[in-house]
Amino acid sequence: MGGMDDLYREQILEHHRRPHNQGTLATPSVSLEGRNPNCGDVINLQLQLDDAGVVTDVAFSGRGCAISQAGTSLITDELRGKRVDEILALNSPFVMELLGVEVGPTRIHCALLGLETAQKAIASLGSK
Amino acid sequence: MGAWHNADGTLDPVKVRAEYPIFKTQPGGRPLHYLDSAATGQRPQRVVDAVSKYLFTANANPHRGAYTLAQMATDGYEAARARIATYLNVPASELVMLGSATEALNLVARSWGKVNLRRGDVVLVTEAEHHANLIPWQQITREMDADLEFIPVDDITGEILWDRLDSLMKLKPKMIALGHVSNVLGSIAPLAQIAEAAHAVGALLCVDGCQAVANMPVSIPDLGADFYAFSAHKMGGLFAGGGLWARAELLEQMAPIETGGDMIHSVRLRDAEFTTGTQRFEAGTPDASGAVALAAACDLLDEFGRDKIHAHEALMIERVLRELPEVLPDARILGPRDANQRAGLVAFSSDLIHAHDLAEILDRRGVAIRAGFHCAQPLHEQLELSASARVSVAPFTTHDDLDALFAGLRDARTVFEG
Repeated sequence: MGGMDDLYREQILEHHRRPHNQGTLATPSVSLEGRNPNCGDVINLQLQLDDAGVVTDVAFSGRGCAISQAGTSLITDELRGKRVDEILALNSPFVMELLGVEVGPTRIHCALLGLETAQKAIASLGSK
Repeated sequence: MGAWHNADGTLDPVKVRAEYPIFKTQPGGRPLHYLDSAATGQRPQRVVDAVSKYLFTANANPHRGAYTLAQMATDGYEAARARIATYLNVPASELVMLGSATEALNLVARSWGKVNLRRGDVVLVTEAEHHANLIPWQQITREMDADLEFIPVDDITGEILWDRLDSLMKLKPKMIALGHVSNVLGSIAPLAQIAEAAHAVGALLCVDGCQAVANMPVSIPDLGADFYAFSAHKMGGLFAGGGLWARAELLEQMAPIETGGDMIHSVRLRDAEFTTGTQRFEAGTPDASGAVALAAACDLLDEFGRDKIHAHEALMIERVLRELPEVLPDARILGPRDANQRAGLVAFSSDLIHAHDLAEILDRRGVAIRAGFHCAQPLHEQLELSASARVSVAPFTTHDDLDALFAGLRDARTVFEG
């Protein structure tokens, strides 16, 4: 079992068991469903933005593997208080740092599901 | 009994294993426990040897050229077709060689469907279908303004509710399309009963045989099917191969989807006459080496004995069904609990451990399983599952492989129960 805890470390498992920011917002600025078709992970992400384009609140619900749900939980903690341009600038290494582990190519889409969904949600706002 | 069997005539997976060079490798530095043959089979030595021999001694463009070597290429290709036809107990003249089972099912839907479906006609498929036997029917029914209806599954076990067949026949379907063995449920469809019901209302039966052809005896004339599609790579052949059997008179009614060289009788600048028979559906240079590979795979599977393969795999599946609930108490097993109603695979889900996490943790012991939808997303939606884990077995599967599976399942429980 050597090496297993590299990926399934306690922090990830804790976020998987008890994800932060679970639920729905009363009046979200934007809602988006994110899917990872490879393994069926799905999240519904909601963002509340103020007039200055700062995220004031965030919520999600979903189901999927531990990496996708923990990755989304961790990234949602980071979104609150950030401006949309700051969120669009976030990248894969940032998520890896949050997870505390370098996720391999078979799981990278799970790890990035939360961030990519948030970025797509923001992009959809901009095009409105 | 030959080189592959025990004294009592049963298949010896350890002897079988020696024919598959992949097991001499150690992917990631670990011995391989390959439990994903339902996705693709491993390749036997003799299959690759047969391809080498064909390409190094008989290589020219089949069906063309007047020289000796070109005739040898044609002979090799047609002998391969004949061998594959024998494997399925059908005439070679009714076996269309194609690039995949997906291509075969698309050919049936698009070619047969285009000629035979009218507004309001019904095509019936199961809710458990593989996408390859679902989406082509979605497409053609939409195009022809026909209706797609479904044989439902049980919301908990996923088992296909065949007892609904009688009432669904009141819809007078034109076509019933379904898998011989479900690639998620593992269940063997009662084809004789379905064919009888179909033919009684004038419907045809299109069968996706991908999960049956490598795992159990398949004699197509005994099944009552009108179309039967299969893929080569699940039988130990090469990747880009598959085929379609249909009765000659049905093939005659169907127009080719792909046109070009090797399928014509005569061509003028503004039109062309197509050749007759299977070759009409095989435009372009055929994958002759793939056919030769598949013929060699058929030889090997027949040496193993398909009844003996089925018996061996049933033993392995029986153990999985028996021990899985002990090792992972919250496992939700999809499909029938009786191993004899299955061929080659078991899929399950767990609320404790998502399938993808399970596959990752099993990989650390060299155990390869499939996690996800297995190209059957609607079935998973019906069961309210975001994924399932699938264990599939083969003639080379040993108790050692299953020991590794269960050890890995215990690892996963330790991680997730904390």
